[in-house]
Amino acid sequence: MQVRDTTKSAWRSLVGNPMRTVLTALGMIIGVASVVAVLSVGEGAKSSVESRIRSLGSNLLTVRPTSAKSGAVRSAGTRASLTRADAEALGQIPGVTAVSPEATGSAQIKSTVDNVNAQVTGVTEPYFEARAVKMGEGLSLTTADDREMQRVALLGATVATTLFPGASAVGERVQIAGKSFRVVGVLAATGDMTGSDDGVLVPLTVHQKALFGSDALGSINLQLESEKDNDAVQSATSSMLRLRHRLAATQEDDFEIRSQTQMLETMSQVTGTFTALLGAVAAVSLVVGGIGIMNIMLVSVRERTREIGVRMAVGARRRDILLQFLVESVVVSLAGGAIGVLLGYGASYLIGSFGGWSTVVPTYAVTLALGVSVAIGLVFGVSPARRASRLDPVEALRTE
Amino acid sequence: MTPMSAASRSRPVEIEDLEKVYGEPGSEQMVRAVAGISFAVEEGESVAVIGPSGCGKSSLLNVLGCLDRPTAGIYRLGGRNVADLDDDELAALRNRHIGFVFQSFNLLPRMDAIENVELPLLYAGTKNSRATAEEALGRVGLAERKHHLPNQLSGGQKQRVAIARAIVTRPSILLCDEPTGALDSKTGQDVLSLLLQLNREGATLIMVTHDLGIARHMSRAIQMRDGLIQADGRPSLVVGAFHEGEMG
Repeated sequence: MQVRDTTKSAWRSLVGNPMRTVLTALGMIIGVASVVAVLSVGEGAKSSVESRIRSLGSNLLTVRPTSAKSGAVRSAGTRASLTRADAEALGQIPGVTAVSPEATGSAQIKSTVDNVNAQVTGVTEPYFEARAVKMGEGLSLTTADDREMQRVALLGATVATTLFPGASAVGERVQIAGKSFRVVGVLAATGDMTGSDDGVLVPLTVHQKALFGSDALGSINLQLESEKDNDAVQSATSSMLRLRHRLAATQEDDFEIRSQTQMLETMSQVTGTFTALLGAVAAVSLVVGGIGIMNIMLVSVRERTREIGVRMAVGARRRDILLQFLVESVVVSLAGGAIGVLLGYGASYLIGSFGGWSTVVPTYAVTLALGVSVAIGLVFGVSPARRASRLDPVEALRTE
Repeated sequence: MTPMSAASRSRPVEIEDLEKVYGEPGSEQMVRAVAGISFAVEEGESVAVIGPSGCGKSSLLNVLGCLDRPTAGIYRLGGRNVADLDDDELAALRNRHIGFVFQSFNLLPRMDAIENVELPLLYAGTKNSRATAEEALGRVGLAERKHHLPNQLSGGQKQRVAIARAIVTRPSILLCDEPTGALDSKTGQDVLSLLLQLNREGATLIMVTHDLGIARHMSRAIQMRDGLIQADGRPSLVVGAFHEGEMG
């Protein structure tokens, strides 16, 4: 018997009993829909992180200090390996158009109304371009603020609404680690996970001298003229910093240089792992769906024992019967998978519009879901199909 | 189609010392349904197998139909010893050399008439199966009902569809198991006439029945009792003896 005829007859038997077919496929429908929805959330998170990082500008190198190592022993704390002097020196490297040194620390921020614990970042003027920061209201920080050690601050959107609910923060005063600052501006809300909504920006000199009393920088961002210079600038940065830090040839770097691309890769890995984990949980429901198919196929074989006997009597070989039931389980599983993909798209749309998450159904998720549906139909269809093909024709014909 | 020797062409069915035993040999449950019988059927014959329930008719029919294998003895169908054949070869024999007609029709309920008739051709891999099936349905006079589902047909029509399915691969023998048993006498008579007409057109007919009236229309009757052949010959003689046996 040809596969076309087998498929036709399988289709007929499924359509002939729609209720049973829907119940059989229900597990697959739910399983595939949840896998597709989960993968779309993961893909959405990934592309939003990527676009966020890309918006920082594609030509950014980030230098961070790493803990110093003497011999095999890594020292516990992070030494103040990067300084403002380092930053200024790196600014001289050909191909570097701007340098943004940053220092971080955590402090309590108080208004007359409320107080929060926030990340306080010391920055200079190039920071705003390098990080593509958008202002919500008020003014940005200037080079003059930094030079003159002005006690001024920019508040993240969440910080501003917490400290000054229902009113503008611009022009108000806040206490940062007990010292009084004037709020000159509020950052535009980003709503993402980079933490800028929950942070406070102050001039770098103020951060280092007035607030935290440390020369150490958290990072130095180098804006490059063009992406082509990436490798050259990386190696120039590396040798310049090794020289400035007086590192012997046997010593490891006490800093790390990462480009935008490398950060992208790291973030993608993080969201990828996250997605894989959620996907695995959703995939469990596919196994449950497969067991549902096996269950109903076994019932179907029992119900149709006489039909199997008749088919054998008119000349069906055992492999014809095997193929027939296998095709039936694959068809029902695949149909369930296809409906599941559509529902998954719907769920993804709903999550996107009402959950506020960005969702993108990746093409591979559809291919994967349909491929897995076929595989599950085969795997869980084998046992019922074998049972059908091994029936004794005399016994099968005698069944009512 | 396998080539057949001249001898086997004239004798499509030959059995020698055929036995069919159910259950473990020597155990309490062991039943010798067919206890060692021999006969041959000539091409074009119409044979009625008669006897009371439990006489071994059905077991014999299952073996003749290659649905079951003999426990002992030889069964040659078209000259080939079925004991030498594997499951796939038996399926091919059922497909091409045997047409079954059952008491309860055994049509597949979700397929219409023409699809039921076409089914053996699909398993045979025949080209133009639809046209061949329509021709067979025409021979039983149901060309007009080809798109009717079994539950839209009367009992007699269902049995005609089943007969069309049985003859569609032009088998060498037609095996009928009480073909009129589920029909009223008028319809049964029509179905019997159809089978006899197919027999006159060349099909070898073997029919299990307890209806002696039907047996009288056959060219030969074999009467079984307790797994053995009690009488074999012209229906009038065998049926007469059967009657006497019943009464005595």
